[in-house]
Amino acid sequence: MSDYTIIGKRMPRIDSRAKVMGKAKFTADLKLPGMLVGKIKRSPYAHARILNIDTSKAEALPGVKSVVTGKDTEGVKWGVFSYTRDQQFIQMEKVRYIGDEVAGVAAVDEETALEALDLIEVEYEELPAVFESMEALASQTEPIHEDFPNNINVHINIETGEVDENFKRAHYVREDTFVAPEDSYFMAEPYAVAARFDYDGCLEIWCPNGGPHMKSKPLSNAFKIPLHQVKVRKITIGGAFGGRSEICPADYICALLAKKADKPVKIEFTREENSIATRQGHAMITTHKTGVDKDGRVLARETTCYLDGGAYISTGPIAVSVPFLSMEQVYRMESVRYNGYSIYTNKPIRGMIRTHGRCFAAGLDTQLDMIAEHLGIDPVEMRLRNVRKPGEHTNTKSKVGSCAMDETIHKAVERSGFKDKWGKLPPFHGIGIGTNAVQVGFPMGIRGGSQSFIKFNEDGEATVMSGVVDNGQGNDNMLVQIAAEELGLLPEDIHLVSADTETTSSDPGSYSQVSTFVGGQAVQIAAANCRKKLFEVAAKVLKVKADTLAAKNRLIFVKDNPEKSIPIKKVVRISLTNFNSVNAEGGYWPKVDMKREWVSNPYGQMCEAFSFGTTIVEVKVDPDTGQVEVLNATACQDVGKALNPLVLEGQFEGAIAMGGQGGMLTEYHEWKDGRCLNPTMLDYKLPLACDMPNIDTIIVESIEPKGPYGAKEAGMSIAMSAAQGYSAAVSNAIGVYMDSFPLTPDKILAAIKEKKSRPQNKES
Amino acid sequence: MRLPRFDYFGPDTLDAALELLATHKEEAKILAGGTDLLVRMKKGLLNPKVLISLKALNGLSYIKKDDEGIKIGARTPLADIISSDLIQIQATALSQACEKIGAVTLQHYRGTIGGNILQDNRCHHYNQSKFHRSGRQACHKEGGKICYARDESDRCNSTCQSDGATALMALGAKIILASAGHERTVDLENFYTTDGIMPFAMEPHELLKEIFIPFQGGQSAYHRLAFRSAIDYPIVCAGVLLTPSLTQKDEIEGARIVVGAMGRSPLFLAGESAGLKGKKFTDFAAFQTAADAAMNSAATFAVHNVGGTLEYRRAMVSPMVFRALKEAAQAADR
Repeated sequence: MSDYTIIGKRMPRIDSRAKVMGKAKFTADLKLPGMLVGKIKRSPYAHARILNIDTSKAEALPGVKSVVTGKDTEGVKWGVFSYTRDQQFIQMEKVRYIGDEVAGVAAVDEETALEALDLIEVEYEELPAVFESMEALASQTEPIHEDFPNNINVHINIETGEVDENFKRAHYVREDTFVAPEDSYFMAEPYAVAARFDYDGCLEIWCPNGGPHMKSKPLSNAFKIPLHQVKVRKITIGGAFGGRSEICPADYICALLAKKADKPVKIEFTREENSIATRQGHAMITTHKTGVDKDGRVLARETTCYLDGGAYISTGPIAVSVPFLSMEQVYRMESVRYNGYSIYTNKPIRGMIRTHGRCFAAGLDTQLDMIAEHLGIDPVEMRLRNVRKPGEHTNTKSKVGSCAMDETIHKAVERSGFKDKWGKLPPFHGIGIGTNAVQVGFPMGIRGGSQSFIKFNEDGEATVMSGVVDNGQGNDNMLVQIAAEELGLLPEDIHLVSADTETTSSDPGSYSQVSTFVGGQAVQIAAANCRKKLFEVAAKVLKVKADTLAAKNRLIFVKDNPEKSIPIKKVVRISLTNFNSVNAEGGYWPKVDMKREWVSNPYGQMCEAFSFGTTIVEVKVDPDTGQVEVLNATACQDVGKALNPLVLEGQFEGAIAMGGQGGMLTEYHEWKDGRCLNPTMLDYKLPLACDMPNIDTIIVESIEPKGPYGAKEAGMSIAMSAAQGYSAAVSNAIGVYMDSFPLTPDKILAAIKEKKSRPQNKES
Repeated sequence: MRLPRFDYFGPDTLDAALELLATHKEEAKILAGGTDLLVRMKKGLLNPKVLISLKALNGLSYIKKDDEGIKIGARTPLADIISSDLIQIQATALSQACEKIGAVTLQHYRGTIGGNILQDNRCHHYNQSKFHRSGRQACHKEGGKICYARDESDRCNSTCQSDGATALMALGAKIILASAGHERTVDLENFYTTDGIMPFAMEPHELLKEIFIPFQGGQSAYHRLAFRSAIDYPIVCAGVLLTPSLTQKDEIEGARIVVGAMGRSPLFLAGESAGLKGKKFTDFAAFQTAADAAMNSAATFAVHNVGGTLEYRRAMVSPMVFRALKEAAQAADR
């Protein structure tokens, strides 16, 4: 269909070979000359005052090269926003969760470093701790942070339209509460960081990151050194899912140890540390009250959500907003009132996660299904009546451009055979649908745009510089594909320099689904500018006008007369010998409302595009054991334009694993007094390849006018809708609407039993 | 996580291994695959000075049969057991149990049947890192006086989650324990203490040499429940053996019902087993009665310490036992 040579083609990723052969180097693989092993001393108490820290014995241990505590930090505090700076990188006065950082050591080997940790003596005074948001809210004991009396750290209130009036005129109103505990990312790569200071006082640092520029700024602030002196280097990253977005205290501790020892230091997290001391998904309690007209259209909705925010705010304002945003992006509501609260508890820190708000989203769809049943409307029709249409505005005033929500529903329904199956399947066999939407980016202030530089080498190959980071989703390949397409080169001719704060320009990072839309677009513009320069030189040689030329397969040729051509390499060489630049730059800044702010002003254009996804799931439930067998998952997303269908399908499949199979069936954390009982891969029940169902993927292309080649994002609205699809399918199979996620066998079995024991009246 | 330091020996004869054990006793641990032992060492749960690896002891890797039964060398890889037709036909429950242990790669490269039987009891309060266990009192198994899984318990309630042991106990297996100059044979069901700290009635200088499964002319089956289809311990499991009457072939002469992952050892339920004597192989109602009784008996042993809710695990004893009985009965009836 299209004229593209490389875009839209199923191209194996440039990084695949090194990864499958075990040759890719991750942070933990790094070996720097003279490098020391760093370890972090963590609090074994959920809430305690630090009375004294004595490091003298550790410092005296042969082989220990540096020991750091809060005294070495000058008390600097971290927070994503200027108004959320509540976390010291190393605690001085108080510890607030089991795992909080209290000291760091660097030693010649791991054994010595671990021994040194044991020699650090910390005197604590234990304080009463709270572990659940409702308990924290009502707590009369010492608040976790001084300035937050009820432990509420974020409150987001959004209200649009006549909510109370609309409830009054609604044909049917219902209110339901849904809950889910914490979940984790379980990136394949446990966190690791390596750091060193050079003779000039520059900090060089390697670590998994959601955006190198998101790391360099807080590090420059913390060390009070100019930004250019913090060089975050590129390194292979084994997964992020929102959990690598912020600076990690270990980054700072590692750098501080390196500075003090004057040697490179590397800290590798254990799997347990990765679970408890990076980030987790929030536990949530969500109440949706929804009023509809007689056709099932939502007139009013009031949603109240309590998020268990853990010991520090982290991305709190964003985390409290995103579940609501997904709701308002996918479903029209004539009016809505949202109150979201993040509450401090003495549990690990929470952050953004790919399926943020599983109880929020799955609860919303469950309630829609309940309302649909009451009104005698089928779930598909219920959604078609309520989902977003192109050209509309969300409740918080974002204009929605391209939107093929309806098409994703129709295609998924057709492929899955939903209409033939729904309501007609045998007992304990069910099918369910989930729909979701996600913003492609959000206002990121000074780092909201991306810039790229491209230089041609005299052999006719090009080097592309971009701040975009690849967390494992294929961003590197995406940049290469775009540059090759625009420059008329082959992917192997493109050499990527990326995700390095010294050599690449500011970029929003792999954050809020924005890498392709913003970073990819910057490369597209830079490459187009570069091509223009080449065409000007080629036009002279070929004696034609520059606008009659095209580039493909390393050749520049006349569009109407492809025989008339010149190799790009030759054009580059002619340019250079005739004093013409063959380098170019380009940048892209999404047109968003920069006045929009999470707490103070949650209204205005959020981003330039939204992606839409539908997931339909078919399950069989074993009525004796409550175990769920997933027969099939159909994932269909409006991605704008598929730049590489092969990569997108992989993203869809991963999204089903994370949002559905794991997120809705098996994954949750268990606790005992703030101690995480299942921090490891054995005990946290991440699905394995052999647990996964058959997955059908369907790509819908709405061609977003503002996206590169029409692209938006891939996978996120599948991960979210998968959660909804899985819960709907299980509810359909057992004939009970579930309100507590994930849907573990014990809950399913209890629901089946409860239903059996219910008197046979037809009350819904 | 790193392994603590230890001396390593790799004897290639049984005598040499037993000699080493006699010398080092409590300070030595047998390495027979390592999927349980090395993980515990990394977590700092035990710190043996000496590891005696059975890697080179090929003499302990065999599956043989004689007139009386099947003999399995303790170091036999799980993969060999799974692929053995003899075991699949004559000791089906063991074959089914071994298929569920770890994952295919572990069965092939690491896991041994002896290692599976002797894997230590587990508890999600105990099988944790040193960091996790700091800042609280030590539990019984760590040498302390408290149980986090059952309030006020004066002893350790760690759970035996061995698939292999549950199946073998159902099959009426015996184990042969060797020490320098001595051997003894123990019925597997008598091999367990009632103490989760040291669940096996075994001396430090003894080595598990062989497993013997007597021919009883019946059919066996094993069912288990876990969260995932691989790399997961069972949260409930059941192994059964049903033998037909010599005179009435459609009638059950002997039954052995064993429930695993519910207590400190696999639980042989003598009463429930005896209740099936004289029942027809097609009497599913009797199986259900036995399964429900098994649930009631086994439930009292379980504590909340291996994931899942306790209520759920207890309730699942019945379907696991019933399914195993039904499967064994149908195989016998064929």
